[in-house]
Amino acid sequence: MGRRLIPAVIFMLFAANAAAQQQDLEEQVQKIASELRCPVCQNLSTGDSPSELAQEMRQMILSQLQEGKTPEEIKAYFVSKYGQWVLLAPTPQGFNLVLWILPFVASGAGVVLVLFTIRRRAKNKRKHDPTTPSELPFEVALKPTRASLSEEQLKLSAELEELDFDFHSGRLSEADYRELRKEIEARAVEVRKKADSLAPSPSQAPISAPPIPPARKAREVRPATGRKNWQLVSGGLFLLLFGITLGVFLSNSLRPRESTQDTLTGDFLTGTGPGGVAASSKSELDSFLAQGRSAFERHDWPQAIEAFKKTLAIDPNHPEAHTYMGFILTQAGHPDGALLAFDRALSINPDFPAALWGKGMLLYRVKEDFSGARQTLEKLVRIMPTGPERNEVQKTILELSQLAGKEQESGSKTEANRQSSVLVGGVISIDPKLKTQVDGPAVLFIIARSASSSGGPPLAVRRIDQPKFPVSYSLGPENVMIPGTTFSGKVSIVARLDKDGNPTTREPGNLTGEYKKNPVEVGAEKIDIVLDQVM
Amino acid sequence: MMDDKKSGDPLTSILPPRSALRWRRLLITCLIVVPLLGLLAFGFTRDARYISSPLIGQRAPDLTVRLFNGDEINLGQLRGKVVFLNFWASWCLPCRTEARELEAAWRSLKDKDVIFLGIDIQDREEDAKAFLREFHVTYPNGRDLSGKVAVEYGVWGVPETFIIDPTGTITYKHVGTPGNEIISVKIQEARTGLVTAKEGKGSYQPIR
Repeated sequence: MGRRLIPAVIFMLFAANAAAQQQDLEEQVQKIASELRCPVCQNLSTGDSPSELAQEMRQMILSQLQEGKTPEEIKAYFVSKYGQWVLLAPTPQGFNLVLWILPFVASGAGVVLVLFTIRRRAKNKRKHDPTTPSELPFEVALKPTRASLSEEQLKLSAELEELDFDFHSGRLSEADYRELRKEIEARAVEVRKKADSLAPSPSQAPISAPPIPPARKAREVRPATGRKNWQLVSGGLFLLLFGITLGVFLSNSLRPRESTQDTLTGDFLTGTGPGGVAASSKSELDSFLAQGRSAFERHDWPQAIEAFKKTLAIDPNHPEAHTYMGFILTQAGHPDGALLAFDRALSINPDFPAALWGKGMLLYRVKEDFSGARQTLEKLVRIMPTGPERNEVQKTILELSQLAGKEQESGSKTEANRQSSVLVGGVISIDPKLKTQVDGPAVLFIIARSASSSGGPPLAVRRIDQPKFPVSYSLGPENVMIPGTTFSGKVSIVARLDKDGNPTTREPGNLTGEYKKNPVEVGAEKIDIVLDQVM
Repeated sequence: MMDDKKSGDPLTSILPPRSALRWRRLLITCLIVVPLLGLLAFGFTRDARYISSPLIGQRAPDLTVRLFNGDEINLGQLRGKVVFLNFWASWCLPCRTEARELEAAWRSLKDKDVIFLGIDIQDREEDAKAFLREFHVTYPNGRDLSGKVAVEYGVWGVPETFIIDPTGTITYKHVGTPGNEIISVKIQEARTGLVTAKEGKGSYQPIR
């Protein structure tokens, strides 16, 4: 029997060993992953995160473990990719040590402070309580004699002195000091009253009680305990209200996140948007939409933007609002933003006619992406009902297909033209009177703008670092701001010597100059500029 | 004990002026509270989601991807050229905004010593291909099948762009859409091996 068992036992041991190893490996992966932060969720560990990236990272940990790397090496690998940020527990080195030590130091200091305060309070109380039997004999408390009273007065004044000393040496807070002092004063008044009742003539009193101005006496004799209770009750009430507020309002305002960029409270804290206590209703959305439409019809852009923004705050996936935003942005000359808005509308509803129309026309007129425009508009035609509008779109598509044909013919030709042509060229010098203004490193910008349009970005910019005047320059196709732009017609040329090298800011002290006979024909030479103005 | 013991009357013992005490207390409170508030204010100026990359100025991690046209490309083969390495995904909206600009920049630069390489991450093949068709992308693009390349480069948002100089060192990183000017300026800087330590930031979307 024993012999027959042996192979089975060996096999079982082996299988168990393999399974244990597998389990061990998984545990190790989980342990390492739990110490790494997930770059997607950021507040979850890689072990807990359900994100795609975290899964990939766990897979990488597993394969690195199988390669025989130690957990330290694996963690170091991720640190080399994402930085120290990726470690959930920062390494106790250098400045990070503060993070590790400070909590212990602070809690230690807190404990010491609390112990100290409790001890000093207890000491004061024991000393001050006149009814404590150990401090005052029973008969004395019951039937005070003049001697005992004077003794008590002495004690009180000693106490007061000690109190003052403690306060001045900073061992007592001002509030505590005042309270204790009031107590002593109240007792002093009581002792004095008793002494007065024993000895009718004040002159016979061996030690006069501390003289207190009558007004102050009346105020401070009030029992201290009454005020304390009032404070306690109001403090308790406040805490209770605070707790209820937090519990009710905050839990009401929380909601599941709809996307990674969504916040946990919606816009509850700012009082707008969805999910919060003031969740906006469908009717509100419709009214914003109607407002936006009418403002759009009136060409009142700011108001239309405001209304559509509010619509999107209620429903971020509203295709119509996105489409209107696209139209407004097109009007305002932001084709990229407009395209994004149309794309958003189409990602929500791929067959939204207005967005298809807007995107198609934008690609056609502004972006000059004729094939893209055609694709979009063809999609629109497929879903449109027959009618004059549909005919209009079909006409546009026809135009586009003609244009696309032409472009293919002439495309290579214009390309060649652009490569060879020089836009303008010439020499830039500084007005001799302004030579002293130039000190230190500066950057010279030569800017060409289209003479026909005033706004928008310049056609071409050339940057020359630390120029040595006079500088000869030429603007060519490589200086074009928006690749693919062709030059034609007239351009105006301006030069600016910028002190900080940032072309978008204009500091006082920069020198500028423009060509005296602006605008010039493309291809002109000897466009000489003198820097003769100070900004 | 103190001198005022002799004054006999403890209640009239000399107190420091109240105002002086108040000032001292105010000063101590300020010394504790002001630095804490400063720390808080500093915290608000930072983007808590932003992960600074330790890779800038380092040798670019090696990578091999299969391109959509079937070829395989290895970063080592591209030594001697400036590499514009762009991580993207078809589901990422900012990637859509930059796609046209990148293609335009590629067309104006492709005959020079620059190569653009797009790497599609966390995506489906058909979606990625549709994206490339929609924006008429002509520069080489490949997919990161295992997700390993993205981790190798510490990618956490899309689009993310690395510019690698001819010797294989990462000279610049941009999270989000870079824009024309930055593309041309940073490629020019990479030609000379100039490293920009500060990362650029545009509109981006966290990866999944």
